[in-house]
Amino acid sequence: MAISAAAAAGAADPAAGKVKFEPCLACHGSGPAPQGEVAPLLAGQPDNFLQWQLVYFRTETRKDASMTPISLLLSNADIRNIGAYLSSLPPPTPPESKDERPDLTEAGEQLAKANHCASCHLDGFVGKDAIPRLAGQREAYLLKALRDFKSGARRGGGVAAMPDAVYPLSDEGLQALAHYLSRLR
Amino acid sequence: MQAKQTSLIGAAVLAAALLAVPGVQAQGLKHYDSSKKSFWEHPPADWFLGDETEAQKGLAPKAPPATGVPMEEIQATLKTIKLPKGFHISLWASDVPSARQMAWGDKGTLFVGAFGVGNVYAITGPEGKKEVKVILKGLKMPTGIAFRNGALYVADIDKIYKYDNAEASLDNMPAPQVVYDDMPSYVAHGWKYLVFDKEGWLWVPFGPPFNIGIPPVAVSQIRRVNPENGLAEIRALGVRNSVGGDIDPRTGDYWFSENARDWLSDNTPSDKLNHISRMGEHFGYPYCHQGNLPDPKFAMGHKCSEFTPPVLNLGAHVAPLGMKFYTGKMFPAEYKNNIFLAEHGSWNRHVYQGARIMRIIVDPKGKHAKQEVFASGWLKGKQDFHGRPADVIVAPDGALLVADDWANAIYRISYGK
Repeated sequence: MAISAAAAAGAADPAAGKVKFEPCLACHGSGPAPQGEVAPLLAGQPDNFLQWQLVYFRTETRKDASMTPISLLLSNADIRNIGAYLSSLPPPTPPESKDERPDLTEAGEQLAKANHCASCHLDGFVGKDAIPRLAGQREAYLLKALRDFKSGARRGGGVAAMPDAVYPLSDEGLQALAHYLSRLR
Repeated sequence: MQAKQTSLIGAAVLAAALLAVPGVQAQGLKHYDSSKKSFWEHPPADWFLGDETEAQKGLAPKAPPATGVPMEEIQATLKTIKLPKGFHISLWASDVPSARQMAWGDKGTLFVGAFGVGNVYAITGPEGKKEVKVILKGLKMPTGIAFRNGALYVADIDKIYKYDNAEASLDNMPAPQVVYDDMPSYVAHGWKYLVFDKEGWLWVPFGPPFNIGIPPVAVSQIRRVNPENGLAEIRALGVRNSVGGDIDPRTGDYWFSENARDWLSDNTPSDKLNHISRMGEHFGYPYCHQGNLPDPKFAMGHKCSEFTPPVLNLGAHVAPLGMKFYTGKMFPAEYKNNIFLAEHGSWNRHVYQGARIMRIIVDPKGKHAKQEVFASGWLKGKQDFHGRPADVIVAPDGALLVADDWANAIYRISYGK
């Protein structure tokens, strides 16, 4: 009894998260991101993944000129609330459009299979817990993330060793993966 | 060259087969061939997996909550922790993200390493008003730390750093000296634990970059490293993932905890407590587990009798991490020189176990070992946690501190009154 009462007291508040997230929509909303920003879509991402990234930014484990100063303003409660809010939203569906690069799509699909990406990101690349959803993410962001893992610029994630996963891939391979994953619905 | 070509062709055939049957890889059982050098040259992201059985599908390491556990929940959990009569547990410090190994400074500062975030912390201030300071950030995985003669030592995967005059420099840590870097860069089982002996050498574990296989020769061992001059010697072989150990105050010998392989079954093999009694002993990995269980794939004709058996089998998937001999004066006399061991708890088991503090009573030669549960209550249902003990340390007043990298907290266990 004591535990359930306490859990309720510490429970996240998605409505408060929505308010806190409003200024973030400029980059992370469904419209085009401002010039020079390559920001991911966050709606429908797993709660714990969202929270961990904010914690990585706040601890400077993951460094980013835009996100580091923003994350330093967030309390643990803010981070829990934002995670609860965004994870409650439906994930983005990429608009139906003609695939200009079916060759990349096919190469990306093959690389995703050969590299066991679904082992952690799950079938359909929908993510779970601390593992992000990849399906339908912005192509430019996916490519940035993959390149940052490969170059060692992006850290954080403990045993989920993305740098090792992308190490054997060429930049063409990363482009193929980003293209393929961004078009998944 | 021949081998390389074969493996390339193998990969192509595999990829083609997977494409031909969409979804087969995701739906079928995972098979990991870690028997080849190529596996550990660049371990895959899911390197910790193994050949799973139908029953084991879906078991995976559990990510801790990003912001720890809210204070009210921690306090509620502590009320339910079971301890022997006369002992008490309280929250000593909170908001210590991913808290791992702890070490005392000369002037009463508690230093704490971390796993998921690249921080090292210093905790200062009076009891009940502890202040947690991030003194180092941006490291890779600084789990292992130690303190000696005013300097803080931090093991960060492939380097050991020394920060001089650390306790007087908490707000502005000096640039470190690299005191040892003959270390592989694998993040996989590359996180460390550091223990100084009386001669000022560090005992350092090197884990293999996978669940099971024939490891690179630079790992699966425990080295003794002199940070004064960078010399090192190999003290133990055949060790899987060890992230805890201590020097026996009775003899000066090194004892260590060891996490056994995964994906065999829920109840085997047992994790271990080991004692190094002579130079270069082999503790069995990957050929033999728990002193009596040849590996089904990697025994390679070896018998368990060839290897040093454990002092104690601790149980399967309990995940023993930090440990300390009890050298304080607060606890009853019978606790003197007993071992306290933090069990982090399972992930590769259908019903988790561990996530508790064990008390181990054993003579200096490693004979007549017995264990009993000292503190428990951090398991939540079948596959979840209220907290996960990761390290223990004896406080100057004789209390036992516990680092919890799930709740992001440090607890204090005291006796009396």
